[in-house]
Amino acid sequence: MNSEKKFLTSFDKSYSANIFFKKPDKYREIENHSRSNKNIITIGSNYSYAPMGFDKNSLAIDLSSFNRIIDFNLDKKEITVEAGLKIYDFLKFTLKYNLWLPQIPGYPFITLGGIVATNSHGKSCGTHGTIRKSIKKIQLFHKINGWLDLSENENKEIFDLTIGGFGLTGTIVAITFKLTELESGIFETHTEEVKSFEDCYKKISDDKNEKTFTYSWNRADSIKNFGTGFIYKNKLNSNNKTNGYLREIKQKKISSFLPLSLWNSLSVNIANNIYYKIQKMKKNKLNEDLIQVIFPYIGRESYFKLFGSKGFIESQILVSSKNMRMFMDEFLNIFKKHSPVITLFSLKNMSGEHNYLRFEENSVCVSFDFTNTKKNMEFMSLVDKLCVKYKAIPSIIKDSRLDKKTVSDCYIYYQDFKNKLKNYDNKRVYQSAISNKLDL
Amino acid sequence: MKYLIIGASSGLGRELAYEYAKNKHDLVLVSRDLRDLAAIKSDLEKKSEIKVEIIELDLSSESEIEKNLFVERFFNEIDGILFPIGMMFDDDKIELDQEKIKKLFKSNFTSIAFIISKFLRSLSLKQGGIVGFGSISAYLGRNLNPYYSASKRALESHFESLGFLSKKTGLKIQFYVLGYVDTNLAFGKKLKLPKGSPKKLAKIVHKNRNSKFQKIFFPRWWGLVAMILNIVPIKILFFMDKIFK
Ligand SMILES: Cc1cc2nc3c(=O)[nH]c(=O)nc-3n(C[C@H](O)[C@H](O)[C@H](O)COP(=O)(O)OP(=O)(O)OC[C@H]3O[C@@H](n4cnc5c(N)ncnc54)[C@H](O)[C@@H]3O)c2cc1C
Repeated sequence: MNSEKKFLTSFDKSYSANIFFKKPDKYREIENHSRSNKNIITIGSNYSYAPMGFDKNSLAIDLSSFNRIIDFNLDKKEITVEAGLKIYDFLKFTLKYNLWLPQIPGYPFITLGGIVATNSHGKSCGTHGTIRKSIKKIQLFHKINGWLDLSENENKEIFDLTIGGFGLTGTIVAITFKLTELESGIFETHTEEVKSFEDCYKKISDDKNEKTFTYSWNRADSIKNFGTGFIYKNKLNSNNKTNGYLREIKQKKISSFLPLSLWNSLSVNIANNIYYKIQKMKKNKLNEDLIQVIFPYIGRESYFKLFGSKGFIESQILVSSKNMRMFMDEFLNIFKKHSPVITLFSLKNMSGEHNYLRFEENSVCVSFDFTNTKKNMEFMSLVDKLCVKYKAIPSIIKDSRLDKKTVSDCYIYYQDFKNKLKNYDNKRVYQSAISNKLDL
Repeated sequence: MKYLIIGASSGLGRELAYEYAKNKHDLVLVSRDLRDLAAIKSDLEKKSEIKVEIIELDLSSESEIEKNLFVERFFNEIDGILFPIGMMFDDDKIELDQEKIKKLFKSNFTSIAFIISKFLRSLSLKQGGIVGFGSISAYLGRNLNPYYSASKRALESHFESLGFLSKKTGLKIQFYVLGYVDTNLAFGKKLKLPKGSPKKLAKIVHKNRNSKFQKIFFPRWWGLVAMILNIVPIKILFFMDKIFK
């Protein structure tokens, strides 16, 4: 069976390579293809910002034909699906029964295999944590170790290494999820203005309401207005029972032919001013549907396109409440010195227990996007040092810039993950550009 | 209505299963690997209100065919049979070993003819349908895949014969001659011409299911290629082949 050669680029445009890939559509082809190359890696929809699902020396196994529902038990609220199924198609089915996964990430065409392998989280991660909380079982194929069933009771160590294990333990073929009830498909979004970062942080970290999804949009285009913005609270509108229905949306190509980024300090300032004014004029309470709330980038894909062919970097950092103030004070100091071009800045709560390379902890998640320039890179290398100093955790799937030293210093279980992975697969068959960079 | 799809686990066969299920037909799906069939069955049954039966079968084995398919219940229940199968070997050259040649002919032609002959009576009584899938490669002898193309040429001839029968019996016979279709058989191959979509083909097949004898090229323009291959003398084609090499 032939391989196809493709030129692939990571979502943030930091890495491109000609890769060979195979697209099995039978179970025995997963076995045969996996055995046909020394190094392999499974690729989902390639929506990771960093190059997690491919590498120039690895054969990529594209699992998109494995997109079926294998089992569904309404009484137990459990579903088993193949890993190539996309979130959107998954929800189309489960929402008919008013069920869903509250930990799904913000783009509907991401695969379920991808979200398990990166231990993704959604907007309500302060309440619902990461996808790990909804995973009951995984069926995995490993080139050397063969077919494995993984769960809390079976192969537990591999189960733990696989969730958030970046596809390095093998190909996730099927996953059993515990589903959560969704009372309504309509959310009431409350908007509240915040006057500073302090103000925003206090309101976000004080928010302990289980039923609201709280996050912020903050300005970071100048030191003067740093942190001003809005907090959004999405509350399920239980009076409005419009479940069972997911609006039709089409997958769009997010590539850019712009040679240069149209985002610079001036354009970011103008865009922020316009957005700020629009938000102020809008009612501070409005109804939004599931797609608007859960997938905020739908219809706003041009935001990414405007970064042009050089792309962008997103940094997502978990900072504990104990260290947040000191972290931000120093962050602002280097911000003043370097004036980076930050296009988006946001906060949300995160809950969970940190282990291995999982982006998960009881803390606040600070996210920001910036343009790919030398000045911004210098700024970010200082932020890396802050992360190490304040034991903050930067996201590996989002920030392709991170080097081995920063990751191994920030992720206290880095070596543990690496050792256990090597123990399980001493040939280290599954490798991506990022796993190589981080020496995993 | 209940349809039997032979070779339903991947590519065109899988698309046909989904298209027929979408149109609320019950299905009997046959392929070599039960794991793939089981996944399709559960997915189809969860998403649509149809019944799906699955049968694991090696089409090159007559005894397996007899045991699993030639049962009274199927003769009574099946309203149509589709054969979206095409076995290929990477080393299919003139010197291919005998066992493989036999296997290719059994899977791509003799077994199909065998199944049709057994179901002919029951399908004729119901004015049911039989759908075959050939290949444009059958239109000219070749260096690569000669046994595959020969078996497909035999199949096409067989369906033409069935076409004559359809006039008398009311059987609905359709034969699709496929050019490049975007399935795993064409995956990664450097093709000079574009691939047709199996989803689109499945829709066409379902739409045509009640028509009388038809031979259809897919994608359509392959009909023109076939016509040229038919009218240009073979000597000229050999000569052109020499020049272009
Ligand atoms: C617009 C946008 C919004 C996003 N929002 C969020 C968010 O809110 N929260 C969040 O956590 N993330 C978010 N992400 C990131 C995204 O959820 C993850 O990067 C996810 O892994 C992407 O999945 P994918 O299907 O594209 O997989 P890929 O990017 O192709 O692969 C991701 C990783 O998963 C592995 N993998 C994929 N499939 C399998 C499999 N079957 N078996 C084994 N390994 C596999 C790959 O090897 C790779 O390591 C967002 C991304 C985008 C582009």
